[in-house]
Parts: sequence; C-alpha cells; structure tokens
Amino acid sequence: MTETFYEVLRRQGISRRSFLKFCSLTAASLGLGPEFVSTMANALETKPRTPVLWLHGLECTCCSEAFIRSAHPLASDVILSMISLDYDDTIMAAAGHQAEAIVDEIIEKYAGNYILACEGNPPLNEDGMYCIIGGKPYLDQLKKAASNCKAIISWGSCASWGCVQAARPNPTQAVPIHKVIYDKPIIKVPGCPPIPEVMTAIITYIATFEKLPELDRQGRPKMFYSQRIHDKCYRRPHFDAGQFVEQWDDESARKGYCLYKMGCKGPTTYNACSTTRWYGGTSFPIQSGHGCIGCSEDGFWDNGSFYNRLTNINQFGVEANADEIGLATAGVVGAAVAAHAAVSAVKRARTKGGNE
Amino acid sequence: MTTADQSHAQTQVYVYEGPLRLWHWVNALAILTLCLSGYFIGSPLPTMPGEASEHFLMGYIRFTHFAAAYVLIVAFALRIYWAFVGNDHARQIFLPPIFSAKWWAEVRHEIAWYAFIASEPKKYVGHNPLATLAMHLLFVWGIIFMMITGLALYGEGEGMNSWQYTLFSSWVIPLFGNSQWVHTYHHLGMWVILIFVMVHVYAALREDIMSRQSILSTMITGWRTFKDARPADDDHA
Amino acid sequence: MAIQTPNGFNLDTSGKRVVVDPLTRIEGHMRCEVNIGPDNIIHNAVSTGTMWRGLEVILKGRDPRDAWAFTQRICGVCTGTHALTSVRAVEDALDIKIPENANSIRNIMQLSLQIHDHLVHFYHLHALDWVNPVNALKADPKATSELQQKVSPKHPKSSPGYFRDVQNRLKRFVESGQLGPFKNGYWDNPAYLLPPEADLMATTHYLEALDFQSQIMKTRVIFGGKDPHPNWIVGGVPCAINVDGVGAVGAINMERLNFVSDVINQTTEFVENVYIPDIIAIGNLYKGWLYGGGLSGKSVLAYGDIPENANDYSAANLLLPQGAVINGNLKEVHPVDLRDPEQIQEFVPHSWYRYPDEKVGLHPWDGITVPHYELGPNAKGTKTNIIELDENAKYSWIKAPRWRGHAMEVGPLARYVVGYASGHKEITEQINATLAALNVPIDALFSTLGRTAARALEAQRCCHLQRHFMDKLIARIKAGDSSTANVERWDPETWPKEAKGVGFSEAPRGALAHWIKIKDTKIDNYQCVVPTTWNGSPRDNEGNIGAFEASLMDTKVERPEEPVEILRTIHSFDPCLACSTH
Ligand code: HEM
Ligand code: HEM
Ligand code: NFV
Ligand code: SF4
Ligand code: SF4
Ligand code: F3S
Ligand SMILES: [Mg+2]
Repeated sequence: MTETFYEVLRRQGISRRSFLKFCSLTAASLGLGPEFVSTMANALETKPRTPVLWLHGLECTCCSEAFIRSAHPLASDVILSMISLDYDDTIMAAAGHQAEAIVDEIIEKYAGNYILACEGNPPLNEDGMYCIIGGKPYLDQLKKAASNCKAIISWGSCASWGCVQAARPNPTQAVPIHKVIYDKPIIKVPGCPPIPEVMTAIITYIATFEKLPELDRQGRPKMFYSQRIHDKCYRRPHFDAGQFVEQWDDESARKGYCLYKMGCKGPTTYNACSTTRWYGGTSFPIQSGHGCIGCSEDGFWDNGSFYNRLTNINQFGVEANADEIGLATAGVVGAAVAAHAAVSAVKRARTKGGNE
Repeated sequence: MTTADQSHAQTQVYVYEGPLRLWHWVNALAILTLCLSGYFIGSPLPTMPGEASEHFLMGYIRFTHFAAAYVLIVAFALRIYWAFVGNDHARQIFLPPIFSAKWWAEVRHEIAWYAFIASEPKKYVGHNPLATLAMHLLFVWGIIFMMITGLALYGEGEGMNSWQYTLFSSWVIPLFGNSQWVHTYHHLGMWVILIFVMVHVYAALREDIMSRQSILSTMITGWRTFKDARPADDDHA
Repeated sequence: MAIQTPNGFNLDTSGKRVVVDPLTRIEGHMRCEVNIGPDNIIHNAVSTGTMWRGLEVILKGRDPRDAWAFTQRICGVCTGTHALTSVRAVEDALDIKIPENANSIRNIMQLSLQIHDHLVHFYHLHALDWVNPVNALKADPKATSELQQKVSPKHPKSSPGYFRDVQNRLKRFVESGQLGPFKNGYWDNPAYLLPPEADLMATTHYLEALDFQSQIMKTRVIFGGKDPHPNWIVGGVPCAINVDGVGAVGAINMERLNFVSDVINQTTEFVENVYIPDIIAIGNLYKGWLYGGGLSGKSVLAYGDIPENANDYSAANLLLPQGAVINGNLKEVHPVDLRDPEQIQEFVPHSWYRYPDEKVGLHPWDGITVPHYELGPNAKGTKTNIIELDENAKYSWIKAPRWRGHAMEVGPLARYVVGYASGHKEITEQINATLAALNVPIDALFSTLGRTAARALEAQRCCHLQRHFMDKLIARIKAGDSSTANVERWDPETWPKEAKGVGFSEAPRGALAHWIKIKDTKIDNYQCVVPTTWNGSPRDNEGNIGAFEASLMDTKVERPEEPVEILRTIHSFDPCLACSTH
C-alpha cells in the first residue's frame, strides 16, 4: 500500500490523538456530526491517491516551480503520498508516445475520478498551432483530458484569466480554460504564480475532504481569495494614516510606509499574500518593498504601468489617466463656457442696445 | 397646486416643491464632497510624519467619502419616491419624452439657441428639453453609475458576505474585468459629473440673466417667475 | 545521401525516423526527430520549439519600467534572469547608474537562481536519464550507506536506517501500482548503468533535493517578495535597507540579513555535500558514455555576468567569464560586443517567422517578430497533425541566432570552456580537479556528461560568490551606505525622446540579452535572444545546425523506440522552450 494521509501525518510527527482531533475538527467544520469522525479517520487512513493529470499549455512553468516550493506540505509528500501525479510533462520520466499513452489510460481507467490540473492556456489562433503537443494543437490534448475528469484546477493566472500571453494584443489568441471547457467544475487558483502553500492546500483539500472547495462568483476558492491584499496588509495603518512611500528608497520606504503612491495594487487584488505570505511566511511583495502588481487579477497586465496609482486609459490614441483626461476636458469645457458667456454678454448688450 | 396648464398667463408658478429643493441642495453638497474626497483618495496628500497611530488622515478622507456617498444614495432614493408623489416637475428629469418628435425638435431649437442661431429661447415652466435631456443623462444616469460602481468598490472593503458585495461587487467587478478598472471608471465618472456641474451652473446663471424666466431663485424658493406673459411651450405640462 | 554542414556534421536522412514529441522533463514544449541508421546511430537530428507566445509583440508601446515584469514571465524556471536583463537594458538606454548595494543584492538573487536552477535541473529534470528509481528497490541499504559515506563523508543523512526508510517508502509507492511521475519510464532499458546502491542513493537525493530546493530561493523572497517572479525596479532594487532605527523592522534589517546568510550557508553545504559528490559518483559510472559533445568543442559563447562593481559591464569586471571560442580553437577567446550589428544576428529561413528578406540576418535592435506558421512541402501529416517535419523548410518557433555567422552553444559548459580557454584561475582549477577525480582527459569535457558536470561546478562556485556579495553588502552597510535605488531618471519626463540599450546576463542556461528601443517614453522595439534560442536554434541559410541538433549526431541508441539517450543529451542543455521562443 501507498502512504495514506494519516501515515504522512504520522511521519511528520503528528500523534494519533491529534490526528483524531484533526478529524473531529474537520468533521465539525464540514457540518458533520461526531459519528462521522471515525468514517473520516478511516477514509484518510486507507484511501488510494487521486490521479492527477497536470497539463501545460502556453505558460512559463512558474506555477509548477511554485508548487514544488511548498513548505507545508512538502511537494514530495504531495506527489508521493497524497495524489498520484500521473502526467506532468515537466517532471515525468516518460516522453513522446509513452507519455501521451498515460493520458489515454487515465481518462479510461479513472473516468470521472481524476483531477485535471491545467497550467497555462490554449491559443486559438493559427488553429492552435502556437502550442503543439504530439504534433497536434494543445487544445486537442486539453479537451481530451478534460472529457472524463472530475474537476479542473486552473493553476495560475494563465489558466484562470489568460495572463501575459493574453495581454494586448494577445497575438496567439490565448484564452483561459473556462473559455474552452464548459461542462466541468473549474477551480481557479490565480496568481502569477499562485502562493505555493495555497496550491498544495487546495489540492490536499480536495484529496482529503473529497469535495471541491467553495468558490466565489468568479470561480476562486473563497478560503484564499475572498479578501484583498489591502484588507490584511500589515502596512494598512500607514495607509489609513496617510503615510506613503513617495519615492523608492526614501525615508518612508525605509520605515515601511504604505506603497499606494508607488502604484500598489493591493487595494484591487484578491489573494492571500498579505496573510499566508510566501514560503512558509518568509515574506511577500509588499514586505519586500515593492507594491503588489495585482498578479492574481484578471487582465492585470493591461491596467497601465505597475507604478501608476491611476490607471491609464488608452482610448482615443492618447494615453492618460482619469485625472489628466478630466482636467483637460474641464479646461476645454471651462474655456468654452467662458467664451460662450462672453458671446452671450456681447449679444445681450447688443439686443439691449438695439431695444433702447 | 399651481401647474403650468392652469396658468399660462401667470407670471409666477410654483414649480419645485420643498422636498425637491432640499434634495437638490443636499445632492449638490454631497456631490461636491464626494468629488473632493474622491480626488484625494485617488491622489493622496503628502505623507504625514510620525507614527501611524497618531494619524488617520486617509481614514477620515475615506470616511467623508463614504458618509457623503450614503447621503447621496439615501437622498436619491427619496428623490425617486418624490418623483412618484410630487408634481409633474418632480418626474421630468427621470422621464424625458424621448419618443416625441416634437420634443426632439425643441431639443434642436434649444441647441440652436445656445449656438446663437435661434434668436429667442422657448419658454418653459419646467426644464427646457435640452436641460431635461442633459440632466437625465448626466445627473440621473451619472449618479446611478457612481452609486453602482461606488457600492461595488465599497463592497470589496466590506467583504464577500456583505450585501454591497453580493448586490454590486459580485457582478460589477467581472463586468469591468477587474477591480482596478472599476476604480478607473468610477474616477472618470467624477470628472464627467464635475464637468457637467460646471455647465449646469453656467447654464443656470446664464438663463437666469438671458431668458425670460427665473432659474436660480427657483431652486431656492420653488417659484418660477416670468418676465413676460407668453404661454409656455412645455409639452407634458 | 549524406551532406556535410558548414559547421562540420554529416547529415544523412535515410534510416528510421524517430519522433519524440512531447520531449518531456524540460521547460515548455519541444519536439525532436532523428534519423537512426541500421547501426542504431543517429545520423540526422531535428529539434523544434513547439510553442510561441509573442512577448516581443506584447511589449511594444508599454512603459519600459514595466518591461521586467513582462519579460520575467517569459520563464518561471529561470525566473528573474529576464527581469534582471530587462532592467539592465533600460538602465543602459537611459544611462541610469545603480547603487553598489543594489548590485550586490541583484547578484545574490541571480546567483541563487543559478544554484537553484542547476540543482533542480540535475535532480528533477535530468537524473532520471541516468538513475533508475525502480532499480533502487534492489539495493542493500547498508551498502548504500557505505557508498554515501565514501562519496560524501560530511553529509549527515547516511545511516543504513535512513536509506532503509526511504527504500520502504519507495517500495510502498511502487507497490501501490500508482507510479506517478515514474510511470511508463524506460526502467528495463540497458542504457541505465548504475548499480542498485547508487540508484538508491541518487533517488534519495532526488527527494532530499526536492525538499531542500525551496530553501535556496528564500533569498529572493526576502529581497524580491516572492518567487518565482520576484520584484525588481529600474534603478536598483525595491527593498530598502534600514538596520538601525525607527521602522527598521519593515525593511532589510539584521534579521533579514541573517536569514539570507543562513540560507547561503545551507545551500553551500547541500551543493558541496550532496550535489557535487553525486555528480562525481554518477560521472564515474558513466564515463564510458561520452556522446553529446555537439558544438561544445567547436563554438561556444558567453556574455559574462555578476559585476564585481556596480554599473561596469566590461569583461574584466564580470565574475562569470565573457567571450567566444570558435572552430574549436581554445587558444583564442574572442571579445563579444552586443552592440555591433555584425556580431549577433537572428535568421528565420527555418523558423516560423517572416522577414522582408530572409536571406539576411537582423541585429536585435532592428529585429522583427512576425509569426508565420507553415509546414514544408515534404512534411508528413497535416497542418494540425504533424507526423514528420520537413527541416528543409520552416520547422520551429525558435529563431536562429548566429555570432559572426556561427551557430554557438551557450550555457554552463560554454561558460566553463570560455573560462578555461581564457585561463580563469578558479574555473580552471575546478575543471582540472574534476577531470582528475574522474580520471578522464580534457576532451571528456565536450560531452553530455561534461555539460552536466560543468553545471554542478558552477553551482558550487556560485555559492562562494554569494558569500562574497553578502560580505560586501554588510561591509557597505557598516560603512554607512544603505542606498538601494537611484531615482534620478525614474520619472519618464527626464528621459530623452529616443534611446536604445542592451542588457545582458548569464542565465542558468547561458548567454541572455535583451535589446530595447525607447521612443516617447514607450517601448518602440524589444527583442530577446535567449540561451535556448541559441542552443535550440534550427538551421540557417548556410545549413549550419544548432547546438541541440549537433549534440545528438552520431549517438548510439540502445532501443530506438525508447529515447533515453536522446533525452539524456537534450536534457544536458536544460532546455527551456518558453524561453527560447518567448
Ligand atoms: C453638484 C452640484 C449640482 C448638482 C448635482 C445639481 C443637480 C441638479 C439637478 C439634478 C437638477 C434637476 C432637478 C430636478 O428637476 O429634479 C437641478 C436643477 C437646478 N439646479 Fe442644480 N445641481 C448642482 C448645483 C447647482 C448649483 C450650484 C446651482 C446654482 C447656482 C444649481 C441650480 C439649479 C437650478 C436653478 C435648477 C433648476 C433648473 C431649472 O429650473 O430649470 N445647481 N440641478
Ligand atoms: C458623485 C459621486 C461620486 C464621486 C464623484 C466619487 C468619486 C470618487 C473618486 C474620484 C474616487 C477615487 C477613485 C480612485 O482613483 O481609485 C472614489 C473612490 C471610492 N468611492 Fe466614490 N465617488 C462618488 C460616489 C460614490 C458612492 C455613491 C460610493 C458608494 C459607497 C462611493 C464609494 C467609493 C469607494 C468605496 C471608493 C474607493 C475608496 C478606496 O479605494 O479607498 N463613491 N470615489
Ligand atoms: N533559455 C533560457 Fe531561460 C534560462 N536559463 C533564460 O534566459 O530558462 Ni527558462
Ligand atoms: S500564471 Fe504567471 S506564473 Fe503561472 S505560468 Fe502563467 S505566467 Fe507563469
Ligand atoms: S502597501 Fe498596498 S496593500 Fe498595503 S496598505 Fe498600502 S496600498 Fe494597501
Ligand atoms: S503581485 Fe501577486 S504575489 Fe501577491 S502581493 Fe500582489 S498578488
Ligand atoms: Mg527574440
């Protein structure tokens, strides 16, 4: 037998007592009564691992790189003990048709029971040939692998939203997974890349509790994506106080003031960085002095410069932010009003003069 | 109640009832407060010295914005109520007669008047058609737009379980693509309204001087006074 | 049948055409086709980049200060190296000088990447070409423990009990029937030569390295906030230093510096006690398999990196070597000038792009990127179902960069060859010591195994360089300098109307450069020529084959249908296809 969740916990030094406590807490949090504790404990002790097909489309593989950096659980535990990572072309031993045969085997043998993890996205231009796998468009592989899966995890901003290759003008017409697969539950785990511990938490949540996480309206697990960076940012007191970094490496920067004026997108970004942080809590972008660039948001590449607090609107050939547009228009309208007033006055004077 | 059709020859008509006038000025004040506080939310004042715990500047600015926002929202709701129970003028900016060809002709005439082509403006007890149209688009829809986008932004701070998030943020944010664009368009909305207020105030002052009826004082006293006895051109009235 | 390429390879397209697609355990998507004669020897090799995203197109019109973030997403494996190269290109264009501390921090971050990438490449992308984890089940844990203590006496995890535990864990894993990433491997292929004990030791280290590697990148999480894809700024680094006084707790302070220092120590230990000994041990058992030299003994190129002092990118100031060696002449190291329109040019006659005139190459400042997918007349299959490519026509999403017309190999081995040829003391010592330990001549360096060994040696050297820059950083802070950014030219209004620059680095996989043209504060043109663009290059007008293709030539394969040898040699370059095509 392979290692079960329980064995992994034991190996990590967790006692049977705390394991059972874990089970009862979990049962309670799922709204299950105490009678379910032993069922759950039993399931966690004996369950075979859920097969996972991890496909790569157009991407940069940073999501995989993030995944393997998870501090808890370690990626080795996830891969050896919690799931069965049967296809992942970045680390799998097999290549070529021996690799592709695995997809066929899993979709047949584990129909309805495997997870499809997608990193990256399919391009639609050029009949999909901007991303070729086995001589065919990646889209073909994606559709085939999705056909029998239980659910899809869209890793990262590529699979969730489109990310950098879909930034204007999106030359390959890259689209997120939910734009091509409609009939499966899709769990979006955005971020460029997502936080390692968030990735492993989501996959182990599914494997452990045998259910999909609760999602928000845009398909993201509420447990990690229901609040903005800004809502939990430790620099928030400086924001509220009106204390800002005005320039890189100024006094305020050295004191750790708020990065709002440096373009921080924390107020508009849903992610767990300011609470979970990265690498077992080592740091996160804001803690290291750079504003959040909004990497888990849809279309964050096309919000203008990362350093502008106000987004540039690039509409009529000119590029300017709302204040610049507004002020310029106000100027024009103000001048027009003044001119109109002047003409009105002249006209009125004339009519009056004529009448008298 | 004195209405236009009963009193073509009168030189004084009671147009704007008390609640409407009160709303107008509360609304105007709320909007100016929102513009000022909103601007400083977008481009904050220079950094405050000292410890964070000593200050709450940004917090106060935001609080002002949200307080004024709720004044705006509540006042708008009451204004809608008044549109149902108030006089005809109370409905005017909400229901421009856009299917009436005559009305559109009058809009054109009004444009001509402002463009110094027509020599005489027509006479209206309520708003002239151009004003009605402009106010409908820029005040009514402008304020609705600001309320919806504003509540969507507010819902983000209140959290996913709040009514503001459920009713607004949940669909407004995906509609604009992301929260950042909601900010941007909410911000742009400020300028649209601000610019129209400029035009609105100018037009009001100008008409007060140039046309044959009172404008400015009407929004204070409610009474429209006419400088001549010509019958009014109001269509609906 | 055979034709000779100008760079000295005999191509013969008769024999059996073997296709490997997807070629796995690399970054991104790649296809490989070879012709294998009845002698089981490869006589023709075709390598193809099978993805393209169009970053160079997407970058047009953007704010140059944002370019690092876009280019960083070219790759999440060599994450950061593109960002560093990008800020250097912008700084070059706008003549921005960065503070010394920023240089030290950037160097520490870049060196972390080198070490991490090399380590993860060896254990998780490459090891399974040499190591058979299934065979490890047959090992005697006690003998494994003895082997471990012999090859690396300092490594604490070496008891028989430890190896027994790992073996049991492995056993349970294999017996579960769910082989995960090891599924459908070529585990009974005679190309695997290690005894079970070495297989168990290496498989154990596969797991140890997997658990350890994230530690290495914590330096980048501290300075850059996250990883992959840490944050950078034009003009320096975003992390402010404050070691003493109000608010220091929110900046790079003593605790953060200690953290980084500790990570550097742990990393050095792991590299010296696990990685290097494994390379020597495995190298010893495979030193009869010296295929895969390709271009490494002929034409190699390095741009150099890790400036000792800030803002000086001249060869003398770079701690990683710079230079080009051509025609196998190690006696002469040519200087490399990235601004010279005659030196670096990209060609597209065999790439899925269009140039107005495809007979000429373009220097990257004038480079263009216009995709154009089409299969040659002799390709088999259809547009969306390629059975066999036609390498006489366009056949890859990778452009073909050339240095003075030569196809070049880049990467750790290229850097080490250039270092060796230019008499670099440390590098020469490292190479000589390794050759002595394996008891092989210098020629052994020009091989698949040489590439793999050079990578490990470089990782070790990078550990020492990290320590050097850590000490330097602390010394400067001690001397009262904590500046990390130069903001004089931050505001685009201070920029000239037009400017152009080039930034370069040594990415883990080799020489990397970005060329930028700025006009009216926006990016007018942006071109990247990336390590795997060099190594994975398709043919050019003259018929020169690139480094991947060259390295496969004349290799003997045990079982043509099980491409272990192809994987082994291609993997030794650590290909990154997302990088190569970008
Ligand atoms: C933020 C500032 C303002 C806003 C948003 C605003 C909005 C409005 C709206 C919506 C109406 C139509 C009322 C209705 O029919 O329900 C109106 C009418 C009017 N407003 Fe304002 N207003 C503003 C400022 C002012 C100011 C400063 C003045 C005077 C100087 C003014 C004078 C008037 C007058 C005289 C009318 C009546 C026009 C008429 O009788 O045709 N408004 N305004
Ligand atoms: C005429 C009406 C309004 C004007 C002119 C106005 C103006 C503004 C402006 C300029 C901003 C800054 C946007 C940015 O650059 O990010 C802003 C932010 C905001 N407004 Fe309004 N606003 C109005 C109505 C409202 C309403 C009705 C609400 C509803 C609650 C609201 C809620 C907010 C919120 C939540 C923010 C974001 C605050 C933050 O990010 O800290 N606004 N507003
Ligand atoms: N080729 C390449 Fe890279 C590297 N090293 C970068 O420049 O891997 Ni993605
Ligand atoms: S989401 Fe970002 S990190 Fe993940 S693959 Fe895409 S570009 Fe890379
Ligand atoms: S640093 Fe960014 S996320 Fe944090 S409080 Fe300031 S604006 Fe919000
Ligand atoms: S940039 Fe991304 S990593 Fe977190 S702080 Fe912002 S979401
Ligand atoms: Mg390029």
